[in-house]
Amino acid sequence: MSDHDENLHSVNRYEASGIEERHGIVPKWLLVVYAGLAVWMVWYTLKFWTDQG
Amino acid sequence: MSTIATAIPFTGEPAGATSVSAGVELYDRGLILKYMAAASFWLVFAPTVGAIVAIKFNYYDFLGHISWLTWGRLRPVHVMGVVFGGFSTAIIGLTYYIVPRLCGVPMYKGNWGQVIFWLWNVALAVGFVSLALGYNSGIEAGEFPLWVSIPVEIVLCISTVQVIVTIQRRTEPRIYISLWYLTAAYVWTALNYAFGHFILPFSMPGVNNAAMHGLYIHYVVGLWITPAGLAVAYYFLPLAAKRPLYSHKLSLVGFWSLAFFYPFVGTHHYIYSPIPYWTQTIAIVASMMLIIPVWTVIQNFYGTFVGSWKQFQDSFPAKFLILGALYYLIGCFQGSTEALREMQRLTHFTDFVIGHSHLTVFGTFVLFATAGMYWVTPRLARRQLYSKKLAQWHFWLTVSGFSIMAFDLTLQGLMQGTMLQAGTDFVDSMAAMKPYWFIRTCAGIVMDIGAAMGFWNIYRTIHAGEPIAVPAGASANYLPEPRGC
Repeated sequence: MSDHDENLHSVNRYEASGIEERHGIVPKWLLVVYAGLAVWMVWYTLKFWTDQG
Repeated sequence: MSTIATAIPFTGEPAGATSVSAGVELYDRGLILKYMAAASFWLVFAPTVGAIVAIKFNYYDFLGHISWLTWGRLRPVHVMGVVFGGFSTAIIGLTYYIVPRLCGVPMYKGNWGQVIFWLWNVALAVGFVSLALGYNSGIEAGEFPLWVSIPVEIVLCISTVQVIVTIQRRTEPRIYISLWYLTAAYVWTALNYAFGHFILPFSMPGVNNAAMHGLYIHYVVGLWITPAGLAVAYYFLPLAAKRPLYSHKLSLVGFWSLAFFYPFVGTHHYIYSPIPYWTQTIAIVASMMLIIPVWTVIQNFYGTFVGSWKQFQDSFPAKFLILGALYYLIGCFQGSTEALREMQRLTHFTDFVIGHSHLTVFGTFVLFATAGMYWVTPRLARRQLYSKKLAQWHFWLTVSGFSIMAFDLTLQGLMQGTMLQAGTDFVDSMAAMKPYWFIRTCAGIVMDIGAAMGFWNIYRTIHAGEPIAVPAGASANYLPEPRGC
């Protein structure tokens, strides 16, 4: 089993509440969103730090 | 906590004693049910006041000759009623359930709960009467006068201590995401409430006060309503779906990105104001970056529910959680993009903003709290849900009434903004909004009727639901499996 599969399938159980959760992954499409927003954040902050008139 | 290498059948909340809770009563069932009853009352009261306020948009003189029923007096009663009356009362009650369940130990100083319950609810009642009588601190969403703010602050501080000490004494080695959110929500709000009620009304005149108020009001939304609502949603999500949470990793990304970006968001209320330009830019950037926690939460939500859609059909908590998540996605995307300067130019001073605030506060977080109330009430009362039919009406009148209202407010905001940008006279643009206000009022009343049915149902469940037999020898923490919940 790869690390990816292990993360996806390993399950933790909280005994008192009965809640279970997978260790889980961050899907690739979300990583793309994070990266895109980070680039936009830097660009927008630099461009609009002061009023362009 | 145990770690298992492969998927296992989900067994849900332990019905009987567990190794960590055997023989120890984790919570005061009567106290939590009292909170559910009180929250039900406030969640009917505050939207009803909202409906009266909405009617005034159509019939300007409606109840306008009685000073305490005028628009300016009732509007804060509606806002404070939803935020602190309905939502927060439900959250405090659910905290008394969730924290001991996740920690495996009873709430620290649980016997304080009864005092807190009465202090909180009497303070709220006095607060709403005070607001109607015209006693208002003048800070939006922080409008309670001092004689109400002080007991409310005391409750928040005591609850914060209870949550933190209980977590510190937990027997579970790992801290589930709901506890992260609840701890943060209480700590942030104990500080922010004091800021909004004890500092802002008495200091920092002028534009500085406005800037700080922008932070305060958005901290109420982003550092109380959001984390407390998400704590509840994350707790009941895997239980309602009868599946493990999709990703622990994602839940932490969502929490820390919210904690990092939200503190800068508030000043977006004052774009194009005399507040320094760079401050506005930071607020805009932070608002857009909130897409990260929102989409992360949504991925976790739907990742958990995939393969478990039957629960959507069978379980009212599941229905309200999924509906709330859908509104969360729409409302927060609206909120992020609304902060952009071009969108502000179009939507500021229009009902687009009101549509956004209803989508997030009511559409998302009140519905998450409602899901929790549907889950907890029959289990702790050890009774079946009083009426599945009333719950169905609650859900579908919410779907229809609220969706129409939110869409109508959004559309009318865009229409009015477009008219104003085209140079239409302001009064003419207001006159053009009349049909939209009428639809909004009717849709809001439909939604309120649904809420009244639902919360009456929850209240009646406590007293008149069909009793569920408790097995002989069941532990103090025994939880039945009521139908539909």
